[in-house]
Amino acid sequence: MADGHEHVSCQAVVELVTDYLEQALPPHEAALVEQHINFCEGCDWYVDQMRRTVATVGRIEEGHVPPETRDMLLAAFREWRRS
Amino acid sequence: MIAYKFLRSDGTSPFTRFAWPVPRGEPGDWLEAPIAPCRSGIHACRARDLPLWVGRALYEAELDGEIVEEPTKVVASRARLVRRIDAWNDNARDAYTRMCADRAHELAVGASPVLKDWDAVIEPSIREGPALLGFVAARIAEARSGVEAYHAERARQTAWLVERLGLEPS
Amino acid sequence: MTRVGVQEHQASQEELELLGRLRAGDEQAFEALVTQHYATMLAVAQTYVRTRAVAEEVVQEAWLGVLKGLDRFEGRSSLKTWILRILVNIAKTRGVREARSVPYASLAPEGEEPAVEPERFRGPGDAFPGHWRAYPADWHTLPEDALLQQETLRVAMEAIERLPPAQRTVIVMRDIQGCEPEEVCAVLDVSDGNQRVLLHRARSRVRAALERHLDG
Repeated sequence: MADGHEHVSCQAVVELVTDYLEQALPPHEAALVEQHINFCEGCDWYVDQMRRTVATVGRIEEGHVPPETRDMLLAAFREWRRS
Repeated sequence: MIAYKFLRSDGTSPFTRFAWPVPRGEPGDWLEAPIAPCRSGIHACRARDLPLWVGRALYEAELDGEIVEEPTKVVASRARLVRRIDAWNDNARDAYTRMCADRAHELAVGASPVLKDWDAVIEPSIREGPALLGFVAARIAEARSGVEAYHAERARQTAWLVERLGLEPS
Repeated sequence: MTRVGVQEHQASQEELELLGRLRAGDEQAFEALVTQHYATMLAVAQTYVRTRAVAEEVVQEAWLGVLKGLDRFEGRSSLKTWILRILVNIAKTRGVREARSVPYASLAPEGEEPAVEPERFRGPGDAFPGHWRAYPADWHTLPEDALLQQETLRVAMEAIERLPPAQRTVIVMRDIQGCEPEEVCAVLDVSDGNQRVLLHRARSRVRAALERHLDG
């Protein structure tokens, strides 16, 4: 039973960071992570690194449909439309 | 219910960067946040939680509505900041940090056998401030004498803060 | 809040309107739909087949399958999930035919994969076990555009390319394409917990690659 004594180590925090950022941690564990980040500069920086990593990945652009594919699929759509 | 809230110097929450309505001459606006089973609600400290959440700026908060007490914090559906506790300034921060460091040395060196490796962490940690030193002292107490000693050290830290800052002890 | 189950969403209002336009033969609507989901479909296909070229074939085949089934689609699941499921079925079949060395069944994360090498933390016998021996870098101190550089983006892309297939699919779906966790679970047939483990491992590897690049 939680009594305010528990703490998580930095090693534990780096494993919990995704669940923490996803808001998927039970409140007790989220509180432990926040308590830890509150005093541990290293982990505060690590969580920040993780946030910036996600932001960087989010800037990767994808989604270009090759022209041949687009043409082929449009033709198939017209075919389907006719039937 | 009266409680406490540590915020960054700019009045934002350390974790969510949420900007609180800070008091200017009179209490700040009330905030409302329904308490879902596992999430949300407004978090605040009781006096005994203060050492766990030490931050830059300290405010007295008034809590209302639905209030849930948790092991290391209290959660409310309604809260407002009443006044900034100006006594929690750089001098107080430094004094608290030094107090925790001195206690940590006392505990590590007074141990049998001496907790040399634990003691070595103390001085280099000073620059990181009061929250870390409070943790260091409490952990050294624990390494020396177990969980009860951890709690006792945290209670000491609370007592120091309550006295220095003129807070309600509850 | 821990998610116990995965809630599947029905087709949204937006999707139902799109569906109406498609059935009315609106070419622009179809082209927009293809463009919107292409990258996600390619990533998902690459979970199951060997090469990008084969993945592209699978995606094309999937769209033909979508057209065949469009009249029967009732909107009980979201249009996107329905499309991706058609894709997954085709990709799995193709993957089995290709006799991949990694069977698709093993999408669930296996074994241990620490986010950070254990040596970077104090050992169990040390003072403050589990704490950093030396802190990671404070990326606030980087020049403002360091993370915006094309070069940095390239490092991230290459790191993602090197990921194990399931991890790559999850990070592409979640962090590049902005899919919801529920969509990933429904499409890849993994639990919410597993989806998060895969995301965690993927993000940890990409962070490490960026760290190596930025900190030298």
